[in-house]
This record gives sequence, structure tokens and C-alpha cells, in this order.
Amino acid sequence: MASLISYLNLEEESKRKKLWKTRFELRYPNSRPETSWRSESEQRIYSTKLVDALRLVRRNPSAADKVSSFREIREAADRVLAVAAKGRTRWSRAILASQLRLRLANNMKHKRAKVTCCSRPKRMEKKRFSPTLQRKARLLSRLVPGCRKVSFPNLLEEATDYIAALEMQVRAMTALTELVTGPPVDRLGSTSNS
Amino acid sequence: MNRALPEMLHCLSGPGNGTDMTVLERQRTRVKWQHQEQQNYFGGSEFVGVFLEPSQAGQVGDFQDLLGGGGGSVLRDVMTRSVKPDPGLENGWPELGRYELPDLGFGSAVLMNGSPTGFEMNPTITRTSSCPPAEAQVAPEAKGKVSEPTEKMSSAVGRESFKKRKADKVQNTKVVSEDDAKDKRSKVCAEEGESKITTEQTRTKNTSTHTNNRETSADTSRENSKASEVQKPDYIHVRARRGQATDSHSLAERVRREKISERMKYLQDLVPGCNKVTGKAGMLDEIINYVQSLQRQVEFLSMKLATVNPRLDFNIEDLFAKEIFPACSANFPTIGSSSEMTNPAYLQFNPVQQMVACCGLEMGVNTPDLMALRRTISAPVSLPETYFDTPCFTQLHPPLTWDADLQNLFNLDSHQGRSISFPSQPFTGSNEASNLKMEI
Repeated sequence: MASLISYLNLEEESKRKKLWKTRFELRYPNSRPETSWRSESEQRIYSTKLVDALRLVRRNPSAADKVSSFREIREAADRVLAVAAKGRTRWSRAILASQLRLRLANNMKHKRAKVTCCSRPKRMEKKRFSPTLQRKARLLSRLVPGCRKVSFPNLLEEATDYIAALEMQVRAMTALTELVTGPPVDRLGSTSNS
Repeated sequence: MNRALPEMLHCLSGPGNGTDMTVLERQRTRVKWQHQEQQNYFGGSEFVGVFLEPSQAGQVGDFQDLLGGGGGSVLRDVMTRSVKPDPGLENGWPELGRYELPDLGFGSAVLMNGSPTGFEMNPTITRTSSCPPAEAQVAPEAKGKVSEPTEKMSSAVGRESFKKRKADKVQNTKVVSEDDAKDKRSKVCAEEGESKITTEQTRTKNTSTHTNNRETSADTSRENSKASEVQKPDYIHVRARRGQATDSHSLAERVRREKISERMKYLQDLVPGCNKVTGKAGMLDEIINYVQSLQRQVEFLSMKLATVNPRLDFNIEDLFAKEIFPACSANFPTIGSSSEMTNPAYLQFNPVQQMVACCGLEMGVNTPDLMALRRTISAPVSLPETYFDTPCFTQLHPPLTWDADLQNLFNLDSHQGRSISFPSQPFTGSNEASNLKMEI
């Protein structure tokens, strides 16, 4: 587990990501994040994994009240999303890392989205943005998990992937809830033939 | 002589209006021409190859220094004249090209004269990136040549082609430079002028300040300086960037900026409503809002799932059955019986799953999600699916017509293209339980 943590440790993340990314991009130079997240297969994978995860959540009713269960579900959904990302993106790794740390330190209450970024801060490039732009970039970096100290172009890339993944997550969860809660029963009742 | 040039001219004037030719084509033809020119030079007949070096600005500058300005005018004339047969020039100015041909003949004659001195420089010509050797070649070549009045025109043209060639290296300023060159050419050719040479002087002086610059910024700044120095055509507008550092940093900056703009474009496509806003700040606002709204949606949905969660187990196993039970209750006995009739194995396929399918289909949630949800979990089984699917749709045919319905089901299913696989593994546990319920 420690090795896993260290693997997910964001210190080495930049190096690993560069290496990984170059290799990956060399092989699939044209894979756009939006297209991959919008594909049916991705949603399929996500949905099934989510269902399994939700079942697990149900199996361990750690909290009776709705809030924690809701949080658990949210965490499960995000975790599954991060897994579906196959660890290619920074935010997915950050989600997994944060949840892993949470699990290890059960007694401590961490904010779910909080990511301790141990990576050396990336040297900001010479280009300076206006303060408003910088403020907005900070906001965005807070929204996207694990992107606190990421340079602006990388931040945009992470945001692109994150938005696409979120869209898929919303689609899948909508379908799931519709499946579970379903339409009003009378519609089905009208078709009964008994 | 200039064997290649007529070809170039023809091919350039072929596409019709020179401006229609893409920048890339111009570049290609220019490169081709350059290669040919260099080859020709080694034949001793072409002097132009010298000026095909990428860093001609440096050449020009040093050239000036070498000459000391004395015989500089002649040299400049020769130089500019020799560089005039630039294919890029001819794009919009075929008449100029035709005009220049005779001059080029003179130029080649000049070259011939200077070849003995130039041959010693031959090895240096091969180095396309070296500035001084090329200039050194130019110096001895042009010495002692007689300047011609027609050289003014060609010199002007050559100047522009010279500038144009430098701008070749850069994509984003290409149009600018070419337009600039064309503008200048038009102005220049519109009027003769002794001032041409003086402007040329000033221009070359300006270029001498820049050294070894292949950068866009360098070219454009040179263009700018040249444009600003032109006295007669003062109305030339400089569109290229000014004040940019002529070093690798600026290039890196530009690359970085382009990366950022490319990613912003991706985001623009992704985020709805981003098209109306331009500029980084507005787009960032939109992006932030969108991410926040998506996250809120996920929270809401997860809350919804949480409320349903206690039912989730039963839902998939029992609740569906309960919900759909009245609807498909008529089915069940028939299903059970017919399944016994047809294939006891059918019972293995959980009716609940089929209920799920029915429910899902009934709900009209014909999204790929549901299909995907079921599809991925287990192998598709078409027969039972259709068996139980369409009853919901066809509203529960009476059992007597079951066999006939089966045919319809298969047809329907094939038509609708619904091959719903049953989620077997996750539901196997509950399947048996629900099976029992169903069968009872």
C-alpha cells in the first residue's frame, strides 16, 4: 500500500506523466479526450463498474444517515470515473490518491477533493497573465482535482479531459437513476394483462 | 542559365492568380528553385544560389561591412538583381519576372566574369547556413561590375524577394511578409527612384543589426524596419509583430501561446455556449461555470442514487419485478410454461433481468447506457431477450399466440436492433430468489 501511495505520489507524477504521456501520445497521437469519453464503450465500462461499486457500498452500510451514504456514493462514482480514466490524467490519479489516503487514515477527516500535492511546483513560465486571468486559473485549478500547481496549458488539458469525463459520468448516472427509480408504475400497470 | 526559372514562372503563373497559390506551394517552388539554383551555380552559371541561404540578412549585413559601402551600390545591385528570380515573386507579378529575365542574363554574365574568383568560394556555397562565406562570394563577384539603370527596378524587386525569402521560414508571418513584399514591390515598381538604392542601403543596414536570425520575429522585425525605412511608399502598413526579441525565447513563447490557444479551442468545443465569448477571461469563466454545474449535477445524481440506494439491491432484483410484475404478470405464468415447453434453460435467464430490460425499454430509456449496462455484463442472449422483451411492448399477448409472437419478437428485435445481453453475474445471486418468486 505504501508503494502504491508512493506511486501515486505526485512528486514523481510529473516525470511519470511526461514519460507516460509521450509514450502514449506517440502510439495514439490522435486520441482526443472528448471523443474517447463520449464513446459508448467508455460509458458502458463506467456504468458497469459503477453498479458494482454501488453494490459494494450497499454491502458495507458504514453510515445509516443519508449524508454519508451520499458521500460514499459520490466517492464511489468519482473513483470509478478515475479508474475509467486509466490513470492517464492528473485529476484521475489525484482522485484515487486522495481516496486512498482517506482510507488509510480513517480516523482523520479529509475533504474528499483535497489533494496534497507534494510535487515540486512547476516552474511558472515566463509568460505572465493578468491578475484576473490568474485568479480564474486558480479557480479552475481548484475545481479540477489535483491541479493546484499545474501550468496553465496543462491545466487546460486536464480541464478538457475532466469536463469530458464529468459529462460521461452525468450521462451514466442519469441513466442509472432512471433505470432504478424508473418511470411511474401506472404506465406499466396499464399494459398489464392480468 | 536559368533553365529552371522559366519553368518556375510557368508553373507559378499556371495556377492563375499568384495569390491563389498557397503559401506552401510557394515555399515548395522556392525550395525547388533554390536547389536548382545551387546546382546551377556549381555549373558556374548561376550566382543566385548564394542568396538562397536562409540567413541572408546576416549575409547582407556583413556584406555591407565587407564592402565598406564603396562599391556597395554595385554589389547591392548585383546581389539584389541576382536574387530577383524568386519564384515567390512571380506569383502576382509575372510581368516583372519576364522583365527580369534579361537582367538575369546580365547577372549571369556578371557571374561568369566573377567565377574565377568565385570558385575559390565554391566549397563555402555548399554550406547553406553559413553567412560570411556567401557574402565573401558576393563581394568578389560583384566587384567591378557595371551598374545598370535597369538594376533599380530589379534591385527593388530583388529586395523584396530577398525579404520574402527570409520570411519563408515562418508560417505565420508568411502572408504578412509576402503582402508586405508585394506592396513594396508595387510601390517600388510604380516609381523609379534613385532613392531605391538609398533605401536599400538603409534596409541592409537595418538587417545588419540582426544576426543569424531564422525566427519569425526576426524576419518580421526586419520587415518592419525595412518597411519603416522606405521613404517613398510611406503608406505601407506594417502588420508583423514589432518589438519581439529575436531569440529562441520568443519562439518558445509563441509555441507556448499556440499550445494554449489550441487547448482553449478544444475547450470551446466542449463547453456549450463558449462560442459567444471570446478572450481567455470570458472563456475561463464559462469553463469554470460549466465544471461547477457538472459537479453539482453529479452530486445531485449521487444523492438521488443514495436515496434509492437501499432499494438498489431489491430494485434490480425485486423492485423491478414488483413494478413490472403486474404488467408482465400475465407473461410470467406463460413464460414459465412456455419456457418449460421450449427450453428449461430459459429459466436460468433471470426473468428479473428481462424485467429490467422490459422496464428499461418500457421506460423508453433507450439510451445506449442501459443497453451498455446490460450488454457489458454478460454474453448476449438473443432468444430469451426477445422472448421477454416484446411482451412488454406488444402488451402481453395471450399465451396461445405465444409461438406466433415469438416470431414477431424475433423480427421486432432484429428490426429494432436490440440485442440486450443480460447482466448475469451481478444478478445471479438475486436471480434465483426472484426466479423462485416468479415461478411461484
